[in-house]
Amino acid sequence: MTFLEWRGVGKTFGDKAVLIGMDLAVARGEVLFVIGTSGVGKSVTIKLLVGLLRADAGEIHFDGRRIDQLDEAALSPIRRRIGMVFQSATLFDSMTLAENVALPLRKHQRMSHAAALVEARTRLAQVYMAEHADRYPAELSDGMKKRAAIARTLALAPEVVLFDEPTTGLDPISARRIDRLIRELADSLGVTCVVVSHDLTSVFAIADRVAFLYRGAVHALGTPAELRASPDPILQQFLAGRSSGPLETPGF
Amino acid sequence: MSGVSARLERIGASVLAAGRVMRELGQVALATVAGVIPGSRTGGGGQRNRGEIARQLHAIGNRSLLFVVVTLGFIGMVMTYQACLQLGRVTGDYSQVGSQLLRLVVSDFGPTLTALMLATRVGAGIAAEIGSMKVTEQLDALRMSGVLPINYLITPRFVASLVMTLALTLVGSTVMFAAGGLTAQYSFGVNPSTFYDVAQVRPRHLVMLVVKALAFGAAIPIVAGFCGLRARGSSEGVGWATTAAVIGSSFAVIILDFVISAAALGLTGGDL
Repeated sequence: MTFLEWRGVGKTFGDKAVLIGMDLAVARGEVLFVIGTSGVGKSVTIKLLVGLLRADAGEIHFDGRRIDQLDEAALSPIRRRIGMVFQSATLFDSMTLAENVALPLRKHQRMSHAAALVEARTRLAQVYMAEHADRYPAELSDGMKKRAAIARTLALAPEVVLFDEPTTGLDPISARRIDRLIRELADSLGVTCVVVSHDLTSVFAIADRVAFLYRGAVHALGTPAELRASPDPILQQFLAGRSSGPLETPGF
Repeated sequence: MSGVSARLERIGASVLAAGRVMRELGQVALATVAGVIPGSRTGGGGQRNRGEIARQLHAIGNRSLLFVVVTLGFIGMVMTYQACLQLGRVTGDYSQVGSQLLRLVVSDFGPTLTALMLATRVGAGIAAEIGSMKVTEQLDALRMSGVLPINYLITPRFVASLVMTLALTLVGSTVMFAAGGLTAQYSFGVNPSTFYDVAQVRPRHLVMLVVKALAFGAAIPIVAGFCGLRARGSSEGVGWATTAAVIGSSFAVIILDFVISAAALGLTGGDL
């Protein structure tokens, strides 16, 4: 059953059309990877889902309800059910890790400050960051920040988690641990995961399906095995990482 | 003809763009003020907001104190020196220097110069902080955490700026007048009892000081925060936002000074 759906979605920045009538559907509990060259609209696609950007055309549905026209207040309960892990961790510099994780608990679940801090420490322990709970983001490595950001997102027990390049900038061991965490979220808790990534190792290790974005729309969609077997030269050039071929990369 | 038409089109587009910016600025101002009202949809920040207001009172007020005192003190000395110098060449009568300087300081220079100093120091800081949060997606993360960025970031600075602009205006004006008095005494031999004549200051001058200080205190964090929210790209975008905040908030202070002074003249029938 379709849980998330983009129907004919268009998005333009200035005179540049990034998405042009994009269609995509994600089932509940699925791990779907969105891949494509830089600037093709992968991050835009997931930001449109939670209203961080507004679509210029088309419709976006979540759990059977159209959500692309909701205002900021009406989006709040949606953002409680859909979490997002940003590319650059985006921890708040002025807060400790515990305060960072406690913030959505206080705002979305109306927890008291003290109760939210206790819960935050538990969540940080789940990503092996308990001993760093009172430290500030500036004192931590990128991998540690990413783990804390994941703890903050998972604190609300969301039904959907959007990952924006979760393994970028991480060492291979940390990257595979993030992969395992994403897979476990889907397998153990039934969390739907949409992952924007350039990391083909992650794609072929944990994806249920993969959407390849090209020229503002989904150019190819299928399981990792189906994509590997596809004769499409554009897709094959991307998967092989060849610098020359039919794939257009505007601006580069 | 087509050249004229293209030029008109460009002017029209610029006017429309300026209109859009002003509308967005108005929306930020409304949301900021709404954040102060307890019980409003965006208001009632609770314990965290109170803590943030206390931090901002310190950042805007205490950390600007020396800057404002030194600047206004020197301006008070220069103004008095120049006034006495010119009067000495024409009449040699310094009896009105102190009272006229005080009127000028209370009704105009005190709040305006204090606010211009704050626009550079505080406005730049607000825009840089919010701008860097914008370009690093921290504002998006705040929205995902159920927090309205304007309520969380601009409203505490707005409240702190209202209080501290008024407080610094009172301190700065006092220092400006006192520094002027010392200059007149030691450079031109003016008797302090003649210089420190407060009889010319009327309640309406004090009302103007309070109204101007509050208006400037409100404008600086709103304009600077708005510029921070409009930051795009990376560090270059933050630099642009910071520059725009200093120019925009200084400009807002000067425009508001003109509007309030004109309104005061109108309301008092020119008897200021």
